[in-house]
Amino acid sequence: MRIELQNFTKRFGDTTVIEDMSLSVASGEMVALLGPSGCGKSTTLFAISGIHRIDGGTLHFGDRDVTALPPQDRPVGVVFQNYALYPHMSVAENIGFPLKVQKLSSSEIKRRVSEMADLVQIGNLLSRKPQQLSGGQQQRVALARALVRKPDVLLLDEPLANLDAKLRLEMRSEIRRLQRETGITAILVTHDQIEAMSMCDRIALMKDGNIEQISTPSEMYERPASRYVAGFLGNPPISFLQAEANGQLALGGGNALALPNGITATGPVTLGVRPEHFGPQHRGSSVAGRVSFIEPQGREDLIDVILPDDQRLRAIVPAGHDITLGQEISWQVDLDRVHLFDAEGARL
Amino acid sequence: MTRQTLLGLGFLSPALLAVVMFFLLPVVLTVVFAFTNMSTSTGILGGAYQISESDLRRLPAAGVSDEAVTLLEGAGYAVQPETLALFAAEFGEDRASELEKLHGGATFDDRRAMERALKELRRNPLRKVRDRKTAAELFRVSILGQRFATEAEFQTAIADLGVPDPDRAALTTAAYTGWTFTTQNFELLWKLPATWRYALNTVLYVVLTLGFNVSFGLFLALSTFYLPTRTAQTFRAIWFLPRILPPVLYVLMWQWLTWDQGFISAMMRPFGIEPINWMRHTATHAWIFIVLINGCVGASLGMILFSSSLRAIPETQLFAAQVDGANRWQQARYVLLPQMRWPILFITSYQTLSLLTSFEYILLATDGGPGRQTEVWALAAYHTALSNYGGNLEYGLGAAYALGLVIIGILLSALYLRFFNFRELVAKPRIEQ
Repeated sequence: MRIELQNFTKRFGDTTVIEDMSLSVASGEMVALLGPSGCGKSTTLFAISGIHRIDGGTLHFGDRDVTALPPQDRPVGVVFQNYALYPHMSVAENIGFPLKVQKLSSSEIKRRVSEMADLVQIGNLLSRKPQQLSGGQQQRVALARALVRKPDVLLLDEPLANLDAKLRLEMRSEIRRLQRETGITAILVTHDQIEAMSMCDRIALMKDGNIEQISTPSEMYERPASRYVAGFLGNPPISFLQAEANGQLALGGGNALALPNGITATGPVTLGVRPEHFGPQHRGSSVAGRVSFIEPQGREDLIDVILPDDQRLRAIVPAGHDITLGQEISWQVDLDRVHLFDAEGARL
Repeated sequence: MTRQTLLGLGFLSPALLAVVMFFLLPVVLTVVFAFTNMSTSTGILGGAYQISESDLRRLPAAGVSDEAVTLLEGAGYAVQPETLALFAAEFGEDRASELEKLHGGATFDDRRAMERALKELRRNPLRKVRDRKTAAELFRVSILGQRFATEAEFQTAIADLGVPDPDRAALTTAAYTGWTFTTQNFELLWKLPATWRYALNTVLYVVLTLGFNVSFGLFLALSTFYLPTRTAQTFRAIWFLPRILPPVLYVLMWQWLTWDQGFISAMMRPFGIEPINWMRHTATHAWIFIVLINGCVGASLGMILFSSSLRAIPETQLFAAQVDGANRWQQARYVLLPQMRWPILFITSYQTLSLLTSFEYILLATDGGPGRQTEVWALAAYHTALSNYGGNLEYGLGAAYALGLVIIGILLSALYLRFFNFRELVAKPRIEQ
């Protein structure tokens, strides 16, 4: 089911949280709403689910206008950050609740609950109460409850935030598996770039109530539309250098790089260099500096380089090098892979 | 005993004193009083010994022989040396000797006859009626109506009168005017049809008011739960007013509402309905208003408690219920109410116990009327012990009423504790959030 959100505006009292935002999700696609806390991603999700009223704009599921529909009448399933299971109901009652309020027969409810429980692999826990379950099991119950009504849209609000690291990894692939198997259109709200990149077909990166860029994870990583996007994605993060473009890129302190192909800009620009595109193992234009920090990671080391004008670059260097702290180096920047942004932060 | 223990006891002692003085002592005294025939006429301290004319009829029932009763009855006024000496000391030898001549050795059954005899004095007549009355009293030999401060004095008096030995003990007991220990209060409660009527009234009162309290409190809590915060707070504040209003003022407003000259009557008049006292017209009217008056006070407590426990339920559960397709009624029925078991049970048991003993609003509203149709047990205890129309306040019987209430209260609390398994309810943790 295609989701089409157009010119969406949301206000709380006098504060406008989101203004004129548009988002479209293709049928069967899983899209992440990624951004720091307070950027409006959960608000958008709650508006799509109908829990929050939309103050402006329209929302279509397929060809159907659902803008004015209450949440009860929208074909959505929601998984909340704290799962919001009903503590007084057993697992089976929790999963069956959406069917019970539709007044289905108890045999039908039982059949669909056990079918759904098998899908999320908790068939043996049906008689337990939520507080007797681990976080991962609670998460599976919440997923089953969201899916049991066979909704057209699955909305996930920070579903992995309350899990420990190992479970998070497990549930990441589990949720993606479920989404693929059911072919449901899904929107995932998260502040974790790894989650967004590993689970979703496309990412909508949000900032202050606006979508900064929406594209596939690799596209967003390779060609960030703005300095903000480039800074948000990547771990360890990208390094930014202030430079002066005048036929070449003057970095100050004597360092200068050639202009990347196709760039004709002049004046002050920001150069973004990801750590994996700087180091002794690359070919290209060199930059001289001094090693200021070495952080061993096992397979590779993170090395901070401080340039003569006090700007910093970070490099990922395969382990087994003989670089020492304080060493004067001159390493290469892979000019085909760097990003240039103008003074406003837009990509050049 | 260490210093800390002493210090602790020192800090505790005011509270301990208050508990003993204002809680333990009244309970103990209620139990004690319930087993006495204490009343206004017996006084609360010791009594004296006195047989009055009206007592004579009940003496045979108390085990006094007819012979002794006749003796007590017969002895009246006698002109004999001892009484004449008293008369001489007061009114002169002169008169005494004349009276002795006229009536020496005579006895008179009542004071009137004695006064007539005194009227016959010629040489130095007693002209004033008051003098004759005083003088007649000096010839009195009967112990009827006479007060003896101690048992010994009374014993001497009846011995002098010649009451046979076997009757003296029974007569002394019957003559005692102070209170004694007895179980007759409970026998009386058991026998009187009124007691059962009051018990039934109490059950009716508690059940109806409790039902109103809990359901209306729940309704208010749930309905204000879905309102915007400020509106909800205003509503709750208004509904809380009956509780903070002085009961007298609050009930006075109800009276004003229901008087035959009051608001309801005035509103109904244009529709051709005769003005009546809506609160006291019939027992049904009275019950309806008693439930409303008490219910509006009680519902506010439930509302506050229910509201706060509703707010303790995480909002996301309601969001989840909405996207699960539950309408408001289903949200309340399946998600909210089951999680409010504990406050509902608490309010139910707390209100049962407090309603059992509360009567102030009934007292102010109908005072048990019309007739005794809205008289509840606690009000009966109050009326019997502290506000009897006849003027004889029966402390003992009232205490017996109260003791019955105490026992029922203790049994009910034990039942609630067991049946609802409070310990588990209180200890049960909520789901990890």
